[in-house]
Amino acid sequence: MRNDDIDKQDQAIQALLKDYPMPEADAGFFDQALVRATHEGTRRQRNRWLMTGFGTAVAAGLALWMISIVFLATPELPTAEPAIPGITMTLAEPQTVKLVFASAQALDSATLTVSLPDGIELSGFPGQREVTWQTSLSEGKNLLPLKLIATSPVGGEVFATLVHNDRGRTFRLRIDVS
Amino acid sequence: MTRSSQQTFETLVRPHFERLYRLAWRLAGQKAEAEDLFQELLIKAYGKLDDLVRIDEPGSWLARMMYNLFIDERRRFARHRMRTVDEGALSDDGIAGFPASDDPVHDQQRLERIKMLDKALAQLSDEHRVIVLLHDTEGYKLTEIQKLMGIPVGTVKSRLHRARARLREILQADGTFSSL
Repeated sequence: MRNDDIDKQDQAIQALLKDYPMPEADAGFFDQALVRATHEGTRRQRNRWLMTGFGTAVAAGLALWMISIVFLATPELPTAEPAIPGITMTLAEPQTVKLVFASAQALDSATLTVSLPDGIELSGFPGQREVTWQTSLSEGKNLLPLKLIATSPVGGEVFATLVHNDRGRTFRLRIDVS
Repeated sequence: MTRSSQQTFETLVRPHFERLYRLAWRLAGQKAEAEDLFQELLIKAYGKLDDLVRIDEPGSWLARMMYNLFIDERRRFARHRMRTVDEGALSDDGIAGFPASDDPVHDQQRLERIKMLDKALAQLSDEHRVIVLLHDTEGYKLTEIQKLMGIPVGTVKSRLHRARARLREILQADGTFSSL
């Protein structure tokens, strides 16, 4: 391609980028965020002081207590909501898929692995077939939005595997591409 | 923390809210994530009020802190993504929310182009997407991006160059240029 064609295309891209919109914050969002920040910041500060003092005084006892909790409390792993058995995506069009996990109780330090078929990518992770991270689940419904993009028309299955305390459960999501 | 601490905090951070919110949006790319990022920044910054009052350029300091939070968040990826929600209250990305003009045909064409750009940006890596959005959309200078990301200005330039080239490839392949 000629250089002046590239220049024209670059100018067109920059014009597009300048026009790339961004919604304004909801009314009252900044005020609410400020109130939450001062409350939460104060709470975290207080907790840090409490934990420092408490930890220094009873470190050994606390360790035993935590181990007991881990062994005694073996919460049921969450079940997948049957609401999303499969979706149809449009080729090369990003789509946010919302996986919902219902958990009977809060789970800390669960490991979630999302495995993607060829031709389906997670936005921000181009070319990665598997993405793993640590997460915590609250009691009740927990939502995981995954922004996916189909790079080929083949489709396939996305697997989301949740592991906690050596127990795992895999959820499947069928993806068709139109 | 006292009431006067809260007032001091507000005085220092509120003038930067609009710019920080825009930065959160450009980093996260989705409303819920952007709002989480903005909120987490304020909580962290409030805990560092003693530092904040001594900073000469609180806006840059806050932006850098937000960028670091974003990177940490990406590493942990989903700690904030998974949370208890009311599904009915969820909204999608901001494309549908752009302001309309008096010309519906122009609006439709613009929406189509923005959708194509959105698709192309989604195919970039985070580091390329963020640099191109901050520089070409938000008008950040290279040196501002350098400070924000903590990388040499030469690296910013080369990433920007590669990001634009990749965007050009993608938009060429999907036929967007024929509609411009």
